[in-house]
Amino acid sequence: MDHFFMLEMCSIWKEVDGTYWFRGRWYIIPEETAAGRQSHNLRRELYRTNDFADIEMESVIRLCYVMSPKEFTKANNEGDDIFLCEYEYDIHWHSFKRLAEIDNGEEGNEEADNDVDWDYGKDSGSDTEEDMEYEEENVNNLPSGPSPAHAVAANSWKGRIFGLNKIGTKKIPGHVRCHKQTELERAKATLLLATLPKSLPCRTKEMEEITAFIKGAICNDQCLGRCLYIHGVPGTGKTMSVLSVMRNLRSEVDAGSIKPYCFVDINGLKLASPENIYRVIYEALSGHRVGWKKALHLLNERFADESKIAKEEIRPCILLIDELDLLVTRNQSVLYNILDWPTKPHSKLIVIGIANTMDLPEKLLPRISSRMGIQRLCFGPYNYQQLQEIISSRLKGIDAFERQAIEFASRKVAAISGDARRALEICRRAAELADYHIKKLASPPDSSSEGKALVGMAEVEAAIQEMFQAPQIQVMKSSSKLSKIFLVAMVHELYQTGMAETTFEKLSVTVSCLCTSNGEKFPGWDTLLRVGCKLGECRIILCEAGAKHRLQKLQLNFPSDDVAFALKDDKELPWLAKYL
Amino acid sequence: MPSIGAVRSEGSGEIRSGSGSTPQKRRSISGGPISPPSPVKWKSPRRSINGSPKTPSKEIEKDSDAKATRLHKSPMKNLSDSFLDKSKWNPGDSKQMSAAKEALHVSTVPSTVVCREDEQNRIMDFCKACIEHEKAGSLYACGCPGTGKSLSMEKVRRALVDWAGQAGFQPPDLLSINCTSLTNTSEIFSKILEKHQPRKKTKSSTSPLQHLRNIYSKKQQSSGMKMMLIIADELDYLITRDRTVLHDLFMLTTLPFSSCILIGVSNAIDLADRFLPKLQSLNCKPMVVTFRAYSKDQILKILQQRLMALPFPVFQPQALELCARKVGAASGDMRKALSVCRSVLEIVEAELRESINSLSLSSEKGAFDQQTLPALDSLTNQEINIVRVDHMATALSKTFRSPIVDTIQSLPQHQQIILCSAVKLFRGGKKDTTVGELNKSYVDICKSVLVPPIGILELSSMCRVLSDQGLLKLGQAREDKLKRVTLKVDEADIAFALQGIRFFRSCLQ
Repeated sequence: MDHFFMLEMCSIWKEVDGTYWFRGRWYIIPEETAAGRQSHNLRRELYRTNDFADIEMESVIRLCYVMSPKEFTKANNEGDDIFLCEYEYDIHWHSFKRLAEIDNGEEGNEEADNDVDWDYGKDSGSDTEEDMEYEEENVNNLPSGPSPAHAVAANSWKGRIFGLNKIGTKKIPGHVRCHKQTELERAKATLLLATLPKSLPCRTKEMEEITAFIKGAICNDQCLGRCLYIHGVPGTGKTMSVLSVMRNLRSEVDAGSIKPYCFVDINGLKLASPENIYRVIYEALSGHRVGWKKALHLLNERFADESKIAKEEIRPCILLIDELDLLVTRNQSVLYNILDWPTKPHSKLIVIGIANTMDLPEKLLPRISSRMGIQRLCFGPYNYQQLQEIISSRLKGIDAFERQAIEFASRKVAAISGDARRALEICRRAAELADYHIKKLASPPDSSSEGKALVGMAEVEAAIQEMFQAPQIQVMKSSSKLSKIFLVAMVHELYQTGMAETTFEKLSVTVSCLCTSNGEKFPGWDTLLRVGCKLGECRIILCEAGAKHRLQKLQLNFPSDDVAFALKDDKELPWLAKYL
Repeated sequence: MPSIGAVRSEGSGEIRSGSGSTPQKRRSISGGPISPPSPVKWKSPRRSINGSPKTPSKEIEKDSDAKATRLHKSPMKNLSDSFLDKSKWNPGDSKQMSAAKEALHVSTVPSTVVCREDEQNRIMDFCKACIEHEKAGSLYACGCPGTGKSLSMEKVRRALVDWAGQAGFQPPDLLSINCTSLTNTSEIFSKILEKHQPRKKTKSSTSPLQHLRNIYSKKQQSSGMKMMLIIADELDYLITRDRTVLHDLFMLTTLPFSSCILIGVSNAIDLADRFLPKLQSLNCKPMVVTFRAYSKDQILKILQQRLMALPFPVFQPQALELCARKVGAASGDMRKALSVCRSVLEIVEAELRESINSLSLSSEKGAFDQQTLPALDSLTNQEINIVRVDHMATALSKTFRSPIVDTIQSLPQHQQIILCSAVKLFRGGKKDTTVGELNKSYVDICKSVLVPPIGILELSSMCRVLSDQGLLKLGQAREDKLKRVTLKVDEADIAFALQGIRFFRSCLQ
């Protein structure tokens, strides 16, 4: 007799010696998690882990079912090997995450699927010690293991393909699969914001500081609670640096040089209300879903109550709160509680807060900033050399950009905001434009000339124009004839009177003047009023409610220069230029 | 049956080595003897998977030992002699370092609270009097953050229980509440009631407050009279719009047979006067104990007292005094002083690491160059066995320095131009302007120096970035263009920060 374990098969293959192997994802029972079995765990509850293993097919005993809670309640007749899985358990951080709805749906459908082969391949084998009484009956299942598996062995990564099958994709067409990416396409892909870069250049100093902070806090035997506040303008790599530090630390944990710890990552924007953070923290630490009031009570017990802590050894917890400023409530009690815990003995809590505002601690109540400590880290905007390095490090090995083009883009962005996201977007857009041009030129596909062209200054210039040129100019250029006259009349009025604000009455007089002297037909007050309201809706002009009619006050929302720039050389109405 | 087990364990035994350590641990479980399932049994796999708490710590110890031996081999060995000689501090030793850090950590409760004896005695006397006469009473302690209020309360609480035991009084019930952790302000009454009648279920018909009032207004059985000490930290979180909760709480102590000793703790000095006018008219205003901000001498004394726990000196006396003077002048916040001291230790640590690195580098480079080594050795030896004044000065400047000039200098060029144009606008004595006006002035500057200006949408988003950095203040308005803009930093700061750039110098003239 032995212990049994459960795993989900992900892929199956045949070794050269003829044995079948599969790659599986472990499921564990609540006792195996860091939190242990909790009172709320059901008897047949399992956690899906992110731990994979390659195992020989021979060791599979039989099939069992893992269901979402919803189906578990409905299931009656499926036999004994039914388990319930609601959460995924991260074995590195020891945190819990509820399986997404779509994931649940997928798992549920497995059972409904008639395809026997599929069913076997996907679902899990073996079971846990607890249920030993029925393993005898199912022994016969064992020899049948490899044969159905063989039928689907070629189809590795079944999980993925299954998901696609659901939405109707049967097969990836051959020409797509064989398609070799051109340099430009690879450049586009690597410049996407979602692509995780292999290294983070230009932030080594900050990352070292974060590493030193965390290590200093958790490496000692007695883990003293601390707090770090990271601030900087958007797009300067704050979150990314912290996450990359945490990745490095995790590998050190795996190597055994650091004690294991929990890591909870929360974005303030994703919380329905600031108080919900208690719920999220508690759920991540224990896998137990409770209301926020109860969660606050339990967290207080865990972090602040000395008597309870002495009993069990808790591991250090690192709490990363992105967009910290969103947790500021009216009486700021949420922030107070979170920042008060690290000052308690034995809390073993380390808080890292990230926000844009530099002076957030000073804006908070003094009692909170006193608890926050003095550990600050500033991420300044990137200068152009740094942006250049970031882009080139992403494009390493891909020969798609001219050097000057990259420099131009980074200089332009560094002069305005120093936001790396924007620099990447400009380069990506430039690559897109170049790609588009090439494809259009070689419309009868001439594959030989493809991929040679580099992204040059022209494309970058075009991308910058697109990104920085204000949208209002486009709107003005493409608006109707009458709206153009309306706008020019406003500018004319502004020049004449020097007052930013005018009334509809005065304006309509000017419009009629302009129209009659240039041979246009004056459209009448009603139409003019409608035009004004439309421009107001576009926020090209600011206007009061249309009900005021004659006395409606109007004001340009943009500088008159913008109007002049947009309408100076209008082809439809060339006479507009003389009034600008 | 056994054959199945064999198959299983064989299968898992052949798990590839590449699959990580976890399956191997599983194998070791599955290879274990057969035993009926028991909770103890289940504990072990968990431990082995997550790493039992002991193993890594041992590894760390080993690691630090290894470090120490490395130090031994390195030319720093003179330092390592001080391992035995405890009178000297060796920051290279991780144990000594962490001991120093722990002594300076906020959460470490010192054995005696110095410099607050006066306040503690007053509170203690009050509590004693209340218990002796079996009389209810209220006290309010106020003071700035980081002046030892909660710490003193904790001490008083402990001392009171001891005293009651010695003096032969019935020890009072203790209830400490931090009002921020209440989900609802009136929850405080149910907590008090719970303490009073731990077993009884509260009836839903009467509210906890009503219930408490009933208890306190009736004469109770003489035996059941037990005083209750309630310490409510951060009392101002109980202030609601109509102030009833705070009021009701204090009114509980005025009832004829009340047994509450209520101690409220908060920052506001005049909370009782402002929010409890009725108590004043009833002539049972709470006694007020004020915790003043620590003076430099007090901070110094507390730091010294905390460091006395260590068998070796860590700081130069002058360094500590510098810290105490600086913090005492700024806020008198003890937490700040402690965190400055801690950051000093980190600076020293970083310096040490650097010197070891450079040392090992140089020893690698010139392994045969025997003469440079002793020189370096003596240098480092001399350098780091105490935290010096200059270390402290670095840490203090890191904490108290205003980063405005650095921030302005590292801004992107266009944002600097915006600041510049704002300065120009406000030259004429104007106090604020709108984003639209600012844009006009910005475009003028851009045109004069032939820089293509950015659009107004971009400009207003940059104004937001500047206000995030604390350089501008943006007012609220429905339209971006009409938002009020004020400069939050001094004009001279901007001029100073930008004086190095000729372009701006001409602009600001």
